[in-house]
Amino acid sequence: MRSDSTVREEARVADKVKTIAEAVESVPDGAHIALGGFAIARNPIAFVHELIRKQKKNLIISQAVMGLDTDLLVGAGLVKKLIVGGGSLDRFGSINCVNRARDTGSVAAINSSSLSITFGYLAGALGISFIPIKSMMASEMLEVLDKEAPDYVRHGECPFTGEKYLMLRAITPDIAILHVPIADRKGNCWINGPQWENAEAAKAARRTILITEELVPTEYIQRSPERTIIPGHRVDMVVHQAYGAHPTSVFGSYDFDAQHLQLYVKHSKTPEGMKEYLDKYVFGTKDYWEYLEMVGGARMMDTIKAEAIWGY
Amino acid sequence: MATEARATADGPVTASEVMVTAASRELKDGEIAVVGIGLPMIACMLAKSTHAPGLTPLLEIGVADMHAVDTPAGLADPRIYYRATCWSGFLDTLGMSLHRGVVDVGFLGGLEVDRFGNSNTSLIKGPDGQTRWMNGSAGANDVASHAKRLMIILRHGKRKLPAAVSYLTSPGFPNGRSRQELGMRGGGPYRIITDMAVLGFDPTTHVAVMLSIHPGLKVQQVLDNTGFELHVPEGVPTTALPTNEELRLLREEIDPQRMFLRDKD
Repeated sequence: MRSDSTVREEARVADKVKTIAEAVESVPDGAHIALGGFAIARNPIAFVHELIRKQKKNLIISQAVMGLDTDLLVGAGLVKKLIVGGGSLDRFGSINCVNRARDTGSVAAINSSSLSITFGYLAGALGISFIPIKSMMASEMLEVLDKEAPDYVRHGECPFTGEKYLMLRAITPDIAILHVPIADRKGNCWINGPQWENAEAAKAARRTILITEELVPTEYIQRSPERTIIPGHRVDMVVHQAYGAHPTSVFGSYDFDAQHLQLYVKHSKTPEGMKEYLDKYVFGTKDYWEYLEMVGGARMMDTIKAEAIWGY
Repeated sequence: MATEARATADGPVTASEVMVTAASRELKDGEIAVVGIGLPMIACMLAKSTHAPGLTPLLEIGVADMHAVDTPAGLADPRIYYRATCWSGFLDTLGMSLHRGVVDVGFLGGLEVDRFGNSNTSLIKGPDGQTRWMNGSAGANDVASHAKRLMIILRHGKRKLPAAVSYLTSPGFPNGRSRQELGMRGGGPYRIITDMAVLGFDPTTHVAVMLSIHPGLKVQQVLDNTGFELHVPEGVPTTALPTNEELRLLREEIDPQRMFLRDKD
C-alpha cells in the first residue's frame, strides 16, 4: 500500500486532466465523499450522474448543506451514511429522497450543524484528530449523537480554563468533489461568490477532484493568484465540463434552471417518480452531454447564462 | 387586523407589514446581524433603509453586507450575493464571527418555537408519532448558540408555537435553564416576533411574555392561537404601526412582488 504522499507526488507530475468517466472510475465502492454543493448552488451534478451510471455503492457522504447532488445519490440508493448539517432545495422544495431515507432509517445519518461539519473538516485539514466547539450544546441533535455517535462527538473541557466544550472528531473524507467555475490543468482553482465549506473539505480530504466550467492556462491564474481558493498541489484530478452543475447555479457562469428544478421536485416526491427521473435523465443518457441536450441544449444554456454585472 | 389599521392609498396595513416593521425596529444601527432568508432578511433591509444604515447583515453561507435588488429563492440563490462587500464561507461567518462572539443579533425563522425560545427546523411529528424530516439545522443551531441575542420571526399559530417543540434543533433556554448554566456563550432568545404580537422573555424564569399586541387584535385571540401558556401583563401596549415611509419601502422597493409579505389566509 502506498502512502498518501506517494500518491500526491505522482499526481503532481502526471497530467491531472481526466474525463468524467476516468475520474469516477477512481472512486471505490464504500468511499467517503465530501460533496461541494450547497442547496441549489454549485452542485457537482455531472460527477454525481456518472457515479449513478457506474453504480458506485455504499457511499458515505459528508456535506454542510445538502442539495440536489446528495438527493440524487440517496434517491439512486447508493448512500449508506450521511454526515451533514442540513439541506434543502430552497424555495423549490425539500430534499425529498434524503428526508424519506431519514424517516425510514434506510440511510444512517449524523445530523449536525453547518459549523460543526466545517470544524470537522478544518481539523482534518490541519491534521489534528479533534476540535473543540461550542455549537450543538443543549440541543436534541447532541442528545441523539451522544447515544448513537460516540465516535463523532464527546464532551470535554478546556485544559487551561475548564470551560465546557464538545469535542468533534476530525472529518477526513477519502475524496472531495467540487464544482468550480475556473481551474487550470494543475488544479489551481478560483471560485466566484461565497465558498461555504469548499476549501476546508478539499484540504481535509485525501484526494480532491474538481469539475470546472472553464479550463484556463496557468498564466491566467498567475495574473491574480490571490483569487486561488484551492492551490493545485492539493488537487488530484481536474475534469472539464461546461454546465456541469445544471440545474444548480454557478455564480458568474449561469443561474439555476428553475424549470428543471421544479420538474425534479415533482418526481422526487415519490420513489416511483424518482425512478422515472433517474431512468430518463441519468440511465437514459450515455453521458452528461447527452443529458444537457435532453434538458434543452444550447437554448437552455443561453437562457440561464449569467448576465455580466449580476453574475446570475 | 385591517379594522383599526390605518388605510393608505395602496390598501390597509397588513399583519405581515406590522410584523416586519416591529422586527426591523429591534435592529440597531452599527450592529452585526446574521440573518436568515425570507422575513429576517426583509426586516433587515427595512432597518438598513431607515434607522440603521450602519447595520451589517451576514449570511451564513459567507456573504457580508449584501444589497440584493432581486428577490432571492433562498440562501443559495446568487441574487442574494449582489453588491456584497465580502464573500467568504462558513468558517468566516459562522466560525470567526458567530463562534468568536462578535455577532450582536442572530435573526431566524423557524418551523416551531416553544415558550423557552427553543426552536425546531429539523422535523415534524404526526399525531401517530411518525417523523417527517425537514431541513435540519444547517446554520440555525450555530446562530442560536452563539449570537449575543436571538430574534425569531414566524407566523402565529398553535402548531407554530407549541408547548414543546417536536425536536430541539436550536436551544433557547431548555427547561428554563440559563445559558450560563448550560455552558453556552450566546445570550439566547430575546424576541419572538409574529403577525399577532411581539414576545420577550422573563429574565428570571426565561419564559415567553407578551411585550406588545398588534393593532386591531384582542388578547384572547392571540391566546387562542398560541400553543403554550403565554403570560400577558396587564395593560400590554399595542405594537406601533409602520410609518408611511416604511410602508412605501416595503411595498415599492423591498418586496414589491409580495413574496414574503403576503398574509396567510
